[in-house]
Amino acid sequence: MDEAVFRNIEACAELSRTMRSALGPNGLNKMIINRLEKLFVTSDASTILSELEIQHPAAKILVLSAEMQQKEIGDGTNMVIVIAGTLLEKAEELLKMGLSVAEVIDGYNTAAKKALEVLEDMVVEEIKDLYDRKAVARALKPVIATKMRGYEDLLTDLVTEACVGVLPSHHVFDVDNVRVCKVPGAGIHNSTVMQGMVFRREVEGFRQRTENAKLAIFTCPFDIAATETKGTVLLKTAEELKNFSSGEERLLEENIKAIAKAGANVVVAGGKFSDLALHYLDQLGIVAVRLLSKFDLRRLCRATGATALPRMDPPTAEQLGHCDVVELTEVGDAQLVAFRQKDSRISTVLLRGATDQLLDDVERAINHAINTYKALTKDARLVPGAGASETEIATRLEVAAAQCPGLEQYAIAKFAEALRELPRFIAENAGVRGSEIITKLAAAHHETGKRNFGLDLENETIGDTVTLGYLDLFLTKSWAMRYAVNAATTVLRVDQIIMAKPAGGPKPKENKDWDNDD
Amino acid sequence: MSAIKALNPKAEVARAAQALAVNISAAKGLQDVLKSNLGPKGTMKMLVSGAGEIKITKDGNVLLHEMQIQHPTASLIARVATAQDDVTGDGTTSTVLLIGEILKQADIHIDEGVHPRVLTEGLEKGKQRALEILESMRTRQGNVDREVLLSVARTSLRTKVSTELADHLTEIVTDAVLAIQQPGQPIDLHMVEMMEMMHKTENDSRLVRGLVFDHGARHPDMPKRVENAYVLACNVSMEYEKSEVNSSFFYKTAEDREKLVRAEREFTDDKVRKVIALKREVCAKDPKASFVVINLKGIDPFSLDMLASEGIMALRRAKRRNMERLALACGATPVNSVDDVTADALGRAGLVYEHVLGEEKFTFVEQCSSARSVTILLKGSSKYALLQMKDAVHDGLRAVKNALDDQCVIPGGGAFEVAASRVLHELALSIPSKARLGVQTLADALLIIPKTLAANAGLDAQEAVARLLQEAQHRPLGLDLTSGEPMLAEQAGVLDNYCVKRQTINSAAVIASNLLLVDEIMRAGLSSLKG
Repeated sequence: MDEAVFRNIEACAELSRTMRSALGPNGLNKMIINRLEKLFVTSDASTILSELEIQHPAAKILVLSAEMQQKEIGDGTNMVIVIAGTLLEKAEELLKMGLSVAEVIDGYNTAAKKALEVLEDMVVEEIKDLYDRKAVARALKPVIATKMRGYEDLLTDLVTEACVGVLPSHHVFDVDNVRVCKVPGAGIHNSTVMQGMVFRREVEGFRQRTENAKLAIFTCPFDIAATETKGTVLLKTAEELKNFSSGEERLLEENIKAIAKAGANVVVAGGKFSDLALHYLDQLGIVAVRLLSKFDLRRLCRATGATALPRMDPPTAEQLGHCDVVELTEVGDAQLVAFRQKDSRISTVLLRGATDQLLDDVERAINHAINTYKALTKDARLVPGAGASETEIATRLEVAAAQCPGLEQYAIAKFAEALRELPRFIAENAGVRGSEIITKLAAAHHETGKRNFGLDLENETIGDTVTLGYLDLFLTKSWAMRYAVNAATTVLRVDQIIMAKPAGGPKPKENKDWDNDD
Repeated sequence: MSAIKALNPKAEVARAAQALAVNISAAKGLQDVLKSNLGPKGTMKMLVSGAGEIKITKDGNVLLHEMQIQHPTASLIARVATAQDDVTGDGTTSTVLLIGEILKQADIHIDEGVHPRVLTEGLEKGKQRALEILESMRTRQGNVDREVLLSVARTSLRTKVSTELADHLTEIVTDAVLAIQQPGQPIDLHMVEMMEMMHKTENDSRLVRGLVFDHGARHPDMPKRVENAYVLACNVSMEYEKSEVNSSFFYKTAEDREKLVRAEREFTDDKVRKVIALKREVCAKDPKASFVVINLKGIDPFSLDMLASEGIMALRRAKRRNMERLALACGATPVNSVDDVTADALGRAGLVYEHVLGEEKFTFVEQCSSARSVTILLKGSSKYALLQMKDAVHDGLRAVKNALDDQCVIPGGGAFEVAASRVLHELALSIPSKARLGVQTLADALLIIPKTLAANAGLDAQEAVARLLQEAQHRPLGLDLTSGEPMLAEQAGVLDNYCVKRQTINSAAVIASNLLLVDEIMRAGLSSLKG
């Protein structure tokens, strides 16, 4: 057997051992200082992996698979790494037993297929109505609980409120429609959900609030239009100069008056407001807001139903957007421009928290939950969590292995063993004796009627996950399983790694003059 | 001391036996590297580029390209093998293995004092005979139907990617080539576009009878999905273009300037209005139809706005090669001016829609009635998987094309090598001169292919090959890699390309002879010749 395969397995196993301790609701945080010296405190696998900058090519395959899970579902990344790593650890034992790589791969693939079948059979619930806040909260709570234990009730309510509020009737949910706005200060308990959008900006003019707002949104700067070709003002007398300036002013004034006449009382622009334009806007009592990002502009268009205009022309009635209140508010020491509207297509979670790190971590948890909601709109089936599905799959795989005639049976059995390890890691992270509880679990799954039994870590025992409410998304689990097996078999298939000399790129820029950020 | 030393004291030389040893060890070294990758059960190699990019492959051609070979002899062999790939698209690994094995076998004879020249004469004789056998083994001549093409594609793909994926890609590849095939015209594989999408799994790859663009409509208000679409392919700039000469405006009042601002737009707006007029014309006749503009040049926000308000889906800055394909896929004639464009120039597509994947947007032009240009949509979970698939699909396409060009196929699974080896052994016995040794060398060397196939599948190579030789007396038998038993390759659907095998035999014999005949290696300048 090739030494290279073992070295690859070792690297992957090492990675999964590192990530293991961050798994589950009691997963421990990791403190990472990345190469830009930024500090992260999190148990979120995708963040840890992307900041760690894994170099080993074999381990990188696992990381890439996890990234794919993050893209596909947006949750369950750690599961990919841990399952793949454990599978590889078990594969090493098989190879040392004398199985060939091809046999292990065949066995794992067969087992994975079977496992997905069993998983489908494990579905215990399907959320029929995605507007049902209670049912949705039931599915989202475990997701948040794994990231932000202790705040799960509070955050679940926030996310559910935000997501359900903006789900369009045709059920195509865009994660972009739930925004998160972080303002340091106060505590997580002060976080709120708001229908509409919030930007961390100030208004440009004097007027700070208007109700029943009609929005005119421009992508251009709010100023006198300029020609693309270079223009020269040809003046011969002082009179002409005076006329030119006053003509310019008059033109702008007329233009803005026309906009006001069209009904707009809020102007949002993607470019600068000239002082003169602001002057006229203030005169007419129009709120002026400048947004720097064109994506924010588009979102605001979507939220208010406005059409963005590329030129400073007065908008027609259909091109105007509408929202209930536009106002400048102060939260903590931050100035926020809020566009509030009932039944908006976009909602914003206004997060409060003591430190930036905490806020970042809460945001990640919320993003995971939002992604999960998106996955729910695709497939609302739920399977038992807390190790119940894994144990059940393992139990049935062991039966299948015994009936398999070829050498794959060893691989299938090891696959089952690897899945059994998952609840052990979750339990050990909670400080419970792993071996003890997984034997209990295994025993329970051999009894009839107890196939949904999983870990109940609060009471350091096992229990029915359906009554406990520990449910996972079918989609998350099945993709995680698929990606994990795919990664593991890919690593196994490699018999040699050929490395080119690292390219000597330019040195990273040193910013000597920058201030320390701590 | 070599004479060259007198001329250039820094030159390094390796002479006679030493030179041969250098060549042979290089060939053997390369063979060792590639050996484990041959056949459907071969393992993979992971290549890490200078920038840390990962590539996982068992495609000999890719490996040889990426390995940065230093040794002169090895790089010569590598170049021959990759040239083989350029010509036929497959057979790289076999060529390298064969060259290595011929040299290895020849080494034994040379050690016994046989002159290399004698061996090469025999090799040449053997090669001729082997090619004759190859001719005689052609099957399905002039009767290459879809079934045969599927088998050829499957055989080729299985040596590049996992079995499951290979089977999935087989139909895609075959149908792609069949779609673009025009009677009486050479097949242009460029008409098959490959588009990569980091999405779902490899098995979600599919054939799109139409085109896929890797960008989307650039305006939020444009329709994301239209059915029954008229497609206008144009190369017209719909944005403000600066004049080539220095120009500037002179104005006296702000009103004047305002007018100039408008006038400046007028030129571009006119062009857009003509497109809109065309749209109204065709849509008036067919109220359910929709209109799609695909432009090679830019479309600025103002123009996009005008198009969007008409419900036209517009793509800007399409790639030039896609325009060519668009013409073939949906029958649109690319126009360079909108002045005299008529409805005749428009293509038709049943469905045009945008697919958003994170940050990336893709536009599908599908359901074209008689698409003569197709797109293979490769999906995969990661960059390396996509790369691997892309290489494999490329080779698969070539294999299908070769089969169509040759109008015949060869039984695979080592069937040809075994048969040729048998005949050559017999031939060797009938040759009285020393050239017999050369024929024998080739006969033994050919067996490396079935031997390696068997070894990679975890079988006992010697035993499997012995049985093959024994049973292949009257019919072409290949090796069944799952059972290790001989099988009727043609019935099992394991078919190889005729031209690939031909090329392999030819180039391997020629290069091996060349290397055998080298009696001195000289390198001017400083470096080592250690192999």
